[in-house]
Formats: sequence, structure tokens, C-alpha cells
Amino acid sequence: MMSAMTETVAAPADTVPMSQSAGRRTDLRSRGEPALWSLGGALAIGVVMILGFLVLVFSNGVATFIPKPLTVVTAIDGTVTAGEPFRSELYKPTPEEIATLTPDWQERIKAENGYASRTLYRMGNFDIYGEDFRWVPDFAVAKFEQPKNLLFFERMEWGAFVGTVKSFKIDGVDQAFAGLGDPKFTKVHADSRERAEAIRNIERGDIGAINHALDVERLALRKIELSAGRNSAEFKAAQDRLNSVSGDLQKRYDALTAEVQKLRAANAGNTLTLAEIGGREKTIEFSYLVRAYAANDMNLAQTLGVYFSRWWEFLSAEPREANTEGGVFPAIFGTAAMTLLMVIVVAPFGVLTALYLREYAKQGRLVSFVRISVNNLAGVPSIVYGVFGLGFFAYMLGGSIDSLFYPERLPNPTFGTGGLLWAALTLALLTVPVVIVATEEALAAVPRSTREGSLACGASKWQTIRYIVLPRAMPGVMTGVILAMARGAGEVAPLMLVGVVKLAPQLPVDGIFPFVHLERSFMHLGFHIFDVGFQSRNAEAGKPMVFVTTVLLIALVTLVNATAIIVRSRLKKRFAGSQF
Amino acid sequence: MIKHFAGALAVAGTFAAFGAYALDVDPALKEYKKTSGVEGSLKSVGSDTLNNVMTLWAESFNKEYPNVKVEIEGKGSGTAPPALISGAAQFAPMSRPMKAGEIDDFEKKYGYKPTGIRVAVDALAVFVNKDNPIKCLSFAQADAIFSKTRLMGGKEDIKTWSQVGVTGEWANKPISMYGRNSASGTYGYFKEVVMENGDFKDSVKEQAGSSAVVQAIASDKFAIGYSGVGYKTADVKAIEIKAKDNGTCYDGSPENAYKGDYPITRFLYVYMNRKPGAPMEPLRNEFVKFIFSKQGQTGVLKDGYYPIPSAIAFQDLKATGVE
Repeated sequence: MMSAMTETVAAPADTVPMSQSAGRRTDLRSRGEPALWSLGGALAIGVVMILGFLVLVFSNGVATFIPKPLTVVTAIDGTVTAGEPFRSELYKPTPEEIATLTPDWQERIKAENGYASRTLYRMGNFDIYGEDFRWVPDFAVAKFEQPKNLLFFERMEWGAFVGTVKSFKIDGVDQAFAGLGDPKFTKVHADSRERAEAIRNIERGDIGAINHALDVERLALRKIELSAGRNSAEFKAAQDRLNSVSGDLQKRYDALTAEVQKLRAANAGNTLTLAEIGGREKTIEFSYLVRAYAANDMNLAQTLGVYFSRWWEFLSAEPREANTEGGVFPAIFGTAAMTLLMVIVVAPFGVLTALYLREYAKQGRLVSFVRISVNNLAGVPSIVYGVFGLGFFAYMLGGSIDSLFYPERLPNPTFGTGGLLWAALTLALLTVPVVIVATEEALAAVPRSTREGSLACGASKWQTIRYIVLPRAMPGVMTGVILAMARGAGEVAPLMLVGVVKLAPQLPVDGIFPFVHLERSFMHLGFHIFDVGFQSRNAEAGKPMVFVTTVLLIALVTLVNATAIIVRSRLKKRFAGSQF
Repeated sequence: MIKHFAGALAVAGTFAAFGAYALDVDPALKEYKKTSGVEGSLKSVGSDTLNNVMTLWAESFNKEYPNVKVEIEGKGSGTAPPALISGAAQFAPMSRPMKAGEIDDFEKKYGYKPTGIRVAVDALAVFVNKDNPIKCLSFAQADAIFSKTRLMGGKEDIKTWSQVGVTGEWANKPISMYGRNSASGTYGYFKEVVMENGDFKDSVKEQAGSSAVVQAIASDKFAIGYSGVGYKTADVKAIEIKAKDNGTCYDGSPENAYKGDYPITRFLYVYMNRKPGAPMEPLRNEFVKFIFSKQGQTGVLKDGYYPIPSAIAFQDLKATGVE
């Protein structure tokens, strides 16, 4: 190739200079190497960026739950700080600060160009100290220690406690503390937690059912009051019924509360007195202790035990302490439920629209206009969908539903405010262009000969679409749905307007009729990340949780996508051999 | 507003001064006792400053009444009145009192005024990076840093740290300002009290949440910003504030806040739709009682704010007809 080119250049005979240079350029381009390099480069940059992002998120997220050693730092001035070293950094101490140091340290700081290092300790014990993080410069430290008897406690309230066990009581009787592994200690802890769980089950389940039954009767009464008036016979009858029902329910309620009281009293006798490093004490019930471990005295199995039990808590429990602790189960559930509901709405609508546009509509100006509009929809900022969803779905549609079907609950809105259904519909609107475009492409890719073959065999147009075109277009449709799901699951901005809230521990699905509560507000992993990262009290403590939740959200989206991709590849395989 | 706060505390009478670390709820407050017949849904829309306190309350309240449906939303005090008026929320937490216009809107629809209760005390903090050596700022200086109108009487626009007397590394560096967005009550309060309702400079970077302000200051060495004291972290420093140029500097410690010495101390409010004279339904009644109980005010402490003195609590309980 190269030699051929030089030959043409060398041959002066009858070729025009213009075409010569043109020929040279074409040759270079046709070799495609510059394009290859830039394509490869772009790919490499993309891969590096994605990998870098994933490594950052996963390294931070996966390490968060590893129990870290506890350090006791005694400063030269006598203050004692006990906690987990959180992170270190270099900084420039002020000249006044340096002047107070020993000559030895002054030399060292000078040698480092005026920089010294300091470490941030997570001290816990917020209820006693009023702060939970503290910076300690290296030059201020007299000694470091890692005492084996220093323990780390996670509590239901007030966050972590770093200190030692002073004493503990079982049924009000003082016990000698013989380490965390002491069977007496672990047993009383497990029993107390079990009782706390039992209390919760009674209150949520049984008492919940009673309250719900009461609520239903009360609303029925209100409904009759609204339709027939206060003086009607129906109202009187309903009132009597309410009275008799509430009498029965009250008896059951009293019995259950007595049971709860008994459990509570049993738990109240099991207490634990903790002492922080300075000797100040704090007494808590065992039922308020989530877990305790000896951070400086653990073998690998114990470390892993703590690590995995923290993960399990994160995945299965409800959030505590304004979302900074505990788990994210309601958020996982909310995200999954909303995404599923969205797919149920978006898939049929998108596919039907695309079918009509591609197969039935007369291709003309109007259809082009519709197509352009659909494509433009994909470019509208998502928050605009949120505003539309709030105004149209929640206030207009929901408001009318409320005044038609739930007048007895007003002025408290039922559907007339953000909720799961409206959020799913808003996201469906947001993602429907993706499905339409993908489906149209997939339909266009079905060869004309296939359709004509089917028609020639006597099949009707609908039969052809139903049995020949749609099955072959299915993998492409699935691609559109997958893209829509991924976009929907990761979207946060519009959701903040139409139903996602900071705290909504009640799941949209439960055991109370009608079992699925589409009107309820819900929690969402994406919003949870925003909330913990930018709205929690202590931004420092929230940061690791942001990474963990991000890991979880990425994992969830990957899982959903992987499932869809597997389904798609099965579909593809089915038609692999059947093309002409 | 400053006078309003000091006056309210004077009515409250002497409130035991607390040590910096031993802050505790007023012992005169009652222990919350559970009652029966509380159900329904509890929805709160409003202040971002109170967002976490509301959540803590709702969590504890939910523990007492597990069947109460709880929904908390907090995007700024400006979102509270519309939600209260439309009925989308029963509780409207706000970090500033309602404005006359907002009260009018409410009155137009319901024929009576909304009821507000004072639920916590916040010493609005002016934060700088933890290494910044600055000790104290006066209102006029803060105004000259944040405002382009300088209604507090600052002579010149303050652009660099040396203009407020900081030496060393900071001296020649421009001040980088962080604030809240205009839906926020903290924004409105700062504007009213520190800037005499002047205008913010265009270069103030508006953040969507209080915590975002603190995070920005933590990572920007030359930054200054304001938000509730509850959002303080180890990476930022709250500086002392004086109202007059020749006054005394006070830090936002609980003692100074309660005495009214710290000049940007404010109440945090929760507004409700209550027909005067008529009792509220059990749910709201109990929640208000809970807010002013020992457990409720412990929630305030947990979030880093200062609990309400019992005298004010009893006053507001009476005003809402709860007790």
C-alpha cells in the first residue's frame, strides 16, 4: 500500500496534482488508523472513569462496616480521647501554636515545610460529650494506647458508645461482668432484644389491626354523617355499632397492652451501666443495645461476625436516629416497588404507541411530528416531570379521587398528595420515550420479507404483528424496557415532589386490606443517599453511609438489569436460527 | 426579632444555666405517657433545619404508637405554609415565624390564624473552616461580607480575610461565601437580623441544605457560611458574634443562647391548623404533648439544638389548648 502510494507520487506523467493529493488523503484515511486510535482512546478513557468511580464507591462502601480498632490518645495537656481513628490529614499549624511546642517538634515541623499531621477520631458518646468527632494533632499526643478492655457499643439511641462495662443487672440483681463472651451477658442481651421484638410485633401487628378496625368504623360513621346527616336513623345505627365494636376492641386492646407492659417491665430490670474513658457513666436497658464488641481484642471470625451482622442490619432493618443509623429496608422496598410499578405501566403503553406509529399510522407529516415530539420528551429535564406529576396527578387527579371516593377522610388527603402510584406514573411518563424509540427501532428491524411471507400465507395484519413481528422485535423491546428501568431506578429529582419522603417506615404493601397501598408515600434509595449525605446532622458520620447506600443502589440496578438481560438473551436465542 | 426572643425568655423566668457539656432538658418538663385512641397519619412538610428533629420526634412517637403513619418532608420553611394551607401536612415546621402574607393566605382560606408553637432554641452559627484563626465578627462585618447593600453600616465591602483582621495564610485570600437558598427560613432569618433585609451578594453560593453548607465550608479553607448550630461538625468552627461593633463577643453556647446574649438566637417553630377554641384530634394533641415532654426535648438535644425552657413549653401547651 505504502509503496504503491509513493509510486503514484513519483510518477509525474499524466496525473493532475489536485487528484494526487486527494488520493493521498483518501489512502491515509482508508487505513483507518487515526480513527482506530481515537476510538480506542475514547473507550479507554470511558472505562477508566467508570472503573475509577466503581473502585471509589466500592472500596469506601465495602470497608464501612469493618470494625476498626479503638485508640486511646492521651494529650500532653492531659485530655484523653478514645475512639476510632477516622482519617488523617496534613495541615499548617499557626505560628502561635508552633511556638508552644518543644524544640524537637518545632524542628520536625520546620523540616516538613511547616506541615504537621493530625487525625480525626470518632469518639461516640454524643450524649455525654456534645460532640462526636475530634481532631488531635500528632504533636499534642503524649501516648497512644489500644487497651483490650475498651469496648464499642452500638445503641438504639444516641449512636455509638466507647467505653467499658461498669456493671450489669439481670432482673434488678447486680452481676459480675466477665467479658462480652460471658454466657450470662449474651443470654440477657438476646432475651431482652427478643422481648423488644415481641413488643414491636404486638404493637405493630395486633394493636395495629385493632386500631385499623376502629378507624374503619369511624370512617364509615363519618361517611354516613356526610351523606345522610347527623340526625338520620342510619347515623344512629352506625353510631351504636361503633360503640359496641369499640367496646370489644377496647377489651382486646387492654389485654394486649397489659402483655406489652409485662414485657416492658421484664426488660426494665435488665440494665447495663457503661463508663466512658473519663469515668462518666450511662445506664441503658439491654433492649437498647444493638451490639457490643471488644474492638482491640477480636479474632478474624469475630470481626467477620460483626461485619456481616452490620450488613444484615443495614439490609433488613428500619432506619434509626433520623436515618443516620440502622437499615434501609423501607428504602429498598420502596425503590423496587416503584420501579416495578413503573415498568408495568410503561411497557404496554410504550409498546402500543410504537406499534401504532410504525405499523398502522400513515407515515406522513403528522407522524413525523409525533415522533419528533416523543424524541424531544426525552430531553425535558426530569424535574419538569416532577412538577407536572405533582400538579396533574397528585393535585388534580388525586384531589378529584379524594373528593369522590374518600370524602370522609378530608381534609387529610388520601390520593391528593404525593404517593407511590403518582411517583410511578410520573417516572413512566419520563421513561416512555425510551421504550417507544427502542420498540420502533426493533419493529423496523424485522425484515419485510418475513411480514410479506406471513401475509402471503393468508394471515391478517394483526395476526402478522402478533405472531411474527412482535416476537422477533421482543429483544429490542426488552432493551428499551431495561434502559427505562435503569433510568427510573436511578432518578431522584422528580420523585422528591411526588411522593418520596425522608421517613416512611410503613411499607406500601402490608397485611391490611387492600394489601397494596398505592397512595402511601415511600422511601427511596436515591433520595436516601441525598438525605444522609446532605441533610443529616453530622455530615462526617453520614459520609460512609452514603457510600454503602450507593453500593446497594448500584447492586440493585445491576440485579434488575441482569435479570432483564438474561430474559432478553433467551428470547434472542429462540429466534437465532429462524432468520432468512 | 432579637428583642422578641430575649423578651420571651424573660417571661420564661430564670432558666438554670448549663455547663457546655452537661446540657440537659428542663427537669420541670413532664415525662410523656402513652394514651389510647391515637391513630391516623402524621405528615410534616417544611423546614430543613428542623428536618432531623422532626424525624427524631416521629421515630420516637412511632415507637409509642406504631400504627401512626409517619411522613416527613423538609425542603425549606418556605414550603411549609402552602402545605399547611392545602392540607397536605398537619405539621409545618419552620425555622422562622410565619410572615404576615403567609398568615393572610391561611386566614383567607380558613377564617382564623394558624397556631404556632416554639419547639426548640437554635443559636444560628456562623461557620468558618476549622483552621481559620478568626475569633469574632460583628453584625456590620458579617453584613459587609454577605451583603451588597450593607444596611448595617459597614463602610466598605469586605472581600478578603485581611479586612476582618485575619493574618497569615488567610490575609490575601478572597472570602468565599456559602448560604442557604431562598426557600429556607435560615436564609430569611439571617437576611432580616444580620443584614437588615438587605440583599445578598450574587457571589454567595446557595446550598440546598444546612448540612451542605457545613460540608462546603469543611472542604473550602477560605469559606464562611451560616446554618443551625445543630449541624456543626469537627471540620468547621463556629465563631463568636457581636451585635454592635463596640459590643462584647459571645459564642453560641447554651448559656449565651438562653440568656439572649448571643445575638442570633432564635426559636424554631411548628405551625398547625387549629380552629381556635376547638380541641385538636388525639393524634395532633398527643404529638404536641410529646414535643414538649422530656422525651421530645431529648430529641432536640440529640440533633444538637437547645431544648425549650419549661415555662415556654407550658405557655405554648396552653395556647394550643393541649393542656
